Amino acid sequence: MMQLDNQMATVFNALGDPARIEMVRRLSSGQPHPISAVSSGLGITRQGARKHLQVLVDARIVSLEPKGRDVYVHLTPESLDVAKVFIAEVERRWDARLDALRRFVENQD
Amino acid sequence: MNTMIQDTIRRELVLRAPKERVFQAIADPTKIVSWFPDRVEGKMAKGERSVFDFSDFGKVAIHVVASDPSDYFAYRWVPSIGASEEDPLKQANTLVEFRLEEVSDGTKLTLTESGFASLPKEVIEKSLSDNNEGWDIMMARLEKYMAA
Repeated sequence: MMQLDNQMATVFNALGDPARIEMVRRLSSGQPHPISAVSSGLGITRQGARKHLQVLVDARIVSLEPKGRDVYVHLTPESLDVAKVFIAEVERRWDARLDALRRFVENQD
Repeated sequence: MNTMIQDTIRRELVLRAPKERVFQAIADPTKIVSWFPDRVEGKMAKGERSVFDFSDFGKVAIHVVASDPSDYFAYRWVPSIGASEEDPLKQANTLVEFRLEEVSDGTKLTLTESGFASLPKEVIEKSLSDNNEGWDIMMARLEKYMAA
């Protein structure tokens, strides 16, 4: 089976959890929300919420912005942009093929 | 029309090898199998359809549009993630171009693949879901929750 590009695998993992999917849904209006609003009522501790949010940050699905005593969560869904993911995957494949071409033509003496 | 803003992928590299050798590596079906498809059906001649066989990843038809030793080789195919043996000229396709230029260290190769902006969105989505188990499930789940 096709090996997933690292970024795609990260995105899949990030979205593969019900708490994280719910957090993303709450942000889907496009408005930033404080952490408390994003994670309330999910049955997770504040520490648990920060861990989940870090997974989403690492996948570049959200970003965090400290604002006074609160931290606001912004949706930054470029990783979910199908077109960008596709182009990135095509580029990754070309880079691998061009490396192989280099090895082939430079090792013939 | 799709959401693709970027139309072209471009890569430039200098290979420490003579231009003629690089061109043969790209245009000769007996040589391209050393670094690209595992097998080639057809002669990769200009104006003809050939097939790149990537074994587990399937077969992809190409239509060669130019083969000018040792400067330029170009073909059209259906974008590289999906596999399709159908005639690329009869569907949305991209143009792959290899340009070679002699430089002091060897050969400068410029690769471009263009035409992404004109690919229908469905082609891109199908290509991603055909080749990434769970992609379509993941996207369906996300859409469902976004709409709730």
